[in-house]
Amino acid sequence: MASPIRILTAVPICDGHDSAINTINLEFIRHGVEVIYLGYHRSVGDIVRAAIQEDVRAIGISSYNGGHIEFFAEVVDLLRKRGASDIKVFGGGGGTITHDDAVTMRRKGVDQIFFAGTSLAEMTDYVRKNYDKPRKTQSRAKSWDLELAWKLTEIEDGLSKSKRSTSKKTIGNRQSAIRNAKVIGFTGPGGAGKTTLIDELVLRFLNQDPKGRIAILSHDPSVVGEGALLGDRATMINSQDDRVFMRSMATRGQAGGLSPATHDCLALLAQSNFDYVIIETVGTGQEAMPFRKNGIVDLTVLVMNPDYGSRLQLQKIVMLDLADIVVVNKSDLQRARTAHSEIEQRLEQNRRDQRLIDTVAKRHRDPGVDRLFDLIYGGEQSQRGKARNKS
Amino acid sequence: MSKLGQVVEAVEKYNRFVLDQVKRARSDQKFGRELINRWNETRAKTPVTHTPTGLPLPRLALPEIDEPGEIARYLFGEGLPGEFPFLNGAYREMYLEPVREIETGSYGKRASSSGPKEKESGDGARPPEEPTRLFSGLMLAEDTNERFHYLTQHQRTHRLSTAFDGPTLYGIDSDADGVFGKIGEGGVAIDTVEDMVRLYDGFDLGSPNFSASMTISGPAPIIMAMYIAAAKRRFGPKVVPKLRGTVQADIFKEVQAQNETIFPIEASLRFLTDMVEFTTREMPRWYPISISGYHIGEAGSTPVQQAAYTLSNGFAYAEMFAARGIPVDQFGPRLSFFLDCGLDAEYIALARVSRRIWAIGMRDAFDAGPRGQLFKLHTQTSGRSLIAAEFKNNLTRTAAELMLAYMNATNSCHSNSADEPFTTPSEEWIRLAAHGQAIILEESGIFKHTMNMLSGSPGMKAVERAVEAAVLAEFREIERLGGVLAAVEDRFQRSQIQNAAHRYEQQIYDGTRPIIGLNKYRNGEDDAPEIKLARTPRKKQQLQVDRLVKFKKNNAEKAKRALDKLVDAVERGENCFPALLEAAEVSSLGQITGRLQEVVGRFRPMV
Repeated sequence: MASPIRILTAVPICDGHDSAINTINLEFIRHGVEVIYLGYHRSVGDIVRAAIQEDVRAIGISSYNGGHIEFFAEVVDLLRKRGASDIKVFGGGGGTITHDDAVTMRRKGVDQIFFAGTSLAEMTDYVRKNYDKPRKTQSRAKSWDLELAWKLTEIEDGLSKSKRSTSKKTIGNRQSAIRNAKVIGFTGPGGAGKTTLIDELVLRFLNQDPKGRIAILSHDPSVVGEGALLGDRATMINSQDDRVFMRSMATRGQAGGLSPATHDCLALLAQSNFDYVIIETVGTGQEAMPFRKNGIVDLTVLVMNPDYGSRLQLQKIVMLDLADIVVVNKSDLQRARTAHSEIEQRLEQNRRDQRLIDTVAKRHRDPGVDRLFDLIYGGEQSQRGKARNKS
Repeated sequence: MSKLGQVVEAVEKYNRFVLDQVKRARSDQKFGRELINRWNETRAKTPVTHTPTGLPLPRLALPEIDEPGEIARYLFGEGLPGEFPFLNGAYREMYLEPVREIETGSYGKRASSSGPKEKESGDGARPPEEPTRLFSGLMLAEDTNERFHYLTQHQRTHRLSTAFDGPTLYGIDSDADGVFGKIGEGGVAIDTVEDMVRLYDGFDLGSPNFSASMTISGPAPIIMAMYIAAAKRRFGPKVVPKLRGTVQADIFKEVQAQNETIFPIEASLRFLTDMVEFTTREMPRWYPISISGYHIGEAGSTPVQQAAYTLSNGFAYAEMFAARGIPVDQFGPRLSFFLDCGLDAEYIALARVSRRIWAIGMRDAFDAGPRGQLFKLHTQTSGRSLIAAEFKNNLTRTAAELMLAYMNATNSCHSNSADEPFTTPSEEWIRLAAHGQAIILEESGIFKHTMNMLSGSPGMKAVERAVEAAVLAEFREIERLGGVLAAVEDRFQRSQIQNAAHRYEQQIYDGTRPIIGLNKYRNGEDDAPEIKLARTPRKKQQLQVDRLVKFKKNNAEKAKRALDKLVDAVERGENCFPALLEAAEVSSLGQITGRLQEVVGRFRPMV
């Protein structure tokens, strides 16, 4: 079976009209499309960067606040400049985009504009018919991130085609290849705030290390019908940066919070000249740690929600035994103090040097997140700084 | 229990109180007689007016009841217009034409042309303001200014309502990366105090006949500061206490529906409260927040969700302002509301019910005095109900919505232009929209002769009961989630609205929700209508950028000092609005937003 079509959807800068795109996203994923949703109020630069990193076939833009002729054209131009003109651009804006506008926009390189009254079925048909072909192999990628993105796609599609699955393995079969990034794995139940926490750590990293580069491999589940809504980028405000390479992966039928291609993609990223590679699992239940100790993943962080239920529930969470750092996020919630002491007690039974940190990731400049950052960054800082200075 | 839980209890208690009064009126003869006397007296005092054909009508219509229990049910349960719990109206008289000649004496007696006559001119010395308030904003400040003058040329009072362009709504400067094409689109571009001066040029900002409404929330305190700075530049510092108008500043609905939030929720609420504290003290005629359901409705909520979220947001703000120490009788009368009016049956009484719940909640859960109980309402007809296909039908849709809005005794109203599905409305269609209101209010006899002309039909009563019960059920759900702020952070309202929007679209696709010209009686041809689009020319956009760059260059030093001072005030946790006022004199919107975001962070979108 062919790999799912990957497209990116977004609403332009200074536009918060996300009602239409939310409905359209759901329709796309129902029809087997993997949608990387970038969210509303997104700049041309953010959109093009994300489209390249995610190696999508097309970008769908939903614009209701005017200025669409310029905005769409700027997206097309920037794609061309970055050597990614094989990524197509389509979109719509209800009645705000007139037929005359659409003619101009097509002339400027936009594939298709959907007008008011277009049915969802017409849109999904169009996407499935026009964007289902794999990218034509080009001679050479014009930039490092384009090249990396293509390689990740090759890995992902290769595994998807051959149905080879690494589901029995956990990440950690150390490859013999040279690696130079520190790899940090984030896991934990859905809604614990993993994405927000990562985004806040990225902000601190970018501020701390003005030349540092970071990669994020994030996962969301595929739904029945093989589509997936990959929406982590939409809530990440700090990770839209040229020094951050982010790739969103759908689990494509694999249980356990990762994708069949995760292992190989992670290995590639770890060798690709980043200072840090962050991997985020799907929100997982109580099953075992998706990352094995002493593997590619150097440090595992389990992010907990204070609302895990009774103390007995804690005993069932295997990940608590394996994580290097346990974070109780949303520590401003009433239940957080109880959670902290119960988890602390639970960790003491392990008699390992596990760290427990309380955070409020949603809070700007949260001291808990600062502590977590110091813990992750602190040990490595001097060494890495030196290494870069030499090179 | 949060205040919202107390509001639910207060309404339930009040409803029991009304039933008790009904019973008592029937069993307690003395009480019953008092009620009948009061009832008869009210009728007797009601002036008589004459229609142009000479038909005599009472200025206030009352139900034909003479049984004490029913009289009690009406007087306590609904209240006369202008009386608690204000179901029929916030004021005693609304929309009525000024009476040149009226006859005192009971309605029903034969009107005599030789009877005593007296002059009357509404409630006070001033004639009442027209309820028409048209939303406008396009291109640059001077273009919108011209439109404002055009719109108000025949009006006694100048009530301007301002729409801002995308960059302004997001607190971004016009010279920021990637926003060039958005300058002046969908609203007016405002970057600096100088733009604000141009925007209202030629209007007397301190006049009692002028009021400005500014539809902006994320950067509302900054825009408010610019407005004050502009007024001071033109009229001196003494104008400040005289300023009239409103700024939307509704953060909750932005997070729930409209997505124009620029600071994290808590910081946004703090800046809002700083502004409210300042304006309630220094600008007694200003409405510093317009609690808005319109965008919740437009984002796809059901009418009941719209009313429930708007009211609960309002109660949450009241709780917050009270916690800051602002007396309820200071801020209560300065709150106003903004609702959507569409074509669903709920709209027959949605605003009426909202007014009643607000009054009871403010009186019984917040100890507000009479002025703080009033749900003062601006209504806009539904933009979502307007469609591109056979767009001239939109005139009829808007007319029907206007009727519903006035049946709900809205205090002011905006009627949408039929060309709105396409673009910022053009003058031709704006004129028709404004005339729609004038035809209903001034030309027709539906509202101008008699208060309560269309109130209280059995159908309306049925809708009222159903809507109130449904709104209280929503309140209980929000209360169960820990109150409004907790529910907002939990994305509760957002996901409810999105579900409703999805259902609505589904109903249009499967035809269970008929949309004439679209999924029913469609003529098959989708001819592109010839509509003159109000696009902002590139030359104008460039002009805006040039002016801004010059402003920033001229003020660079002063701006730095003012912004440092602002940051200090924010970090110290004091009311930062005075520092914001100073910053607004010399810095641009984007400069202020940027510095504030460095301190408090940026809003993280919810999806």
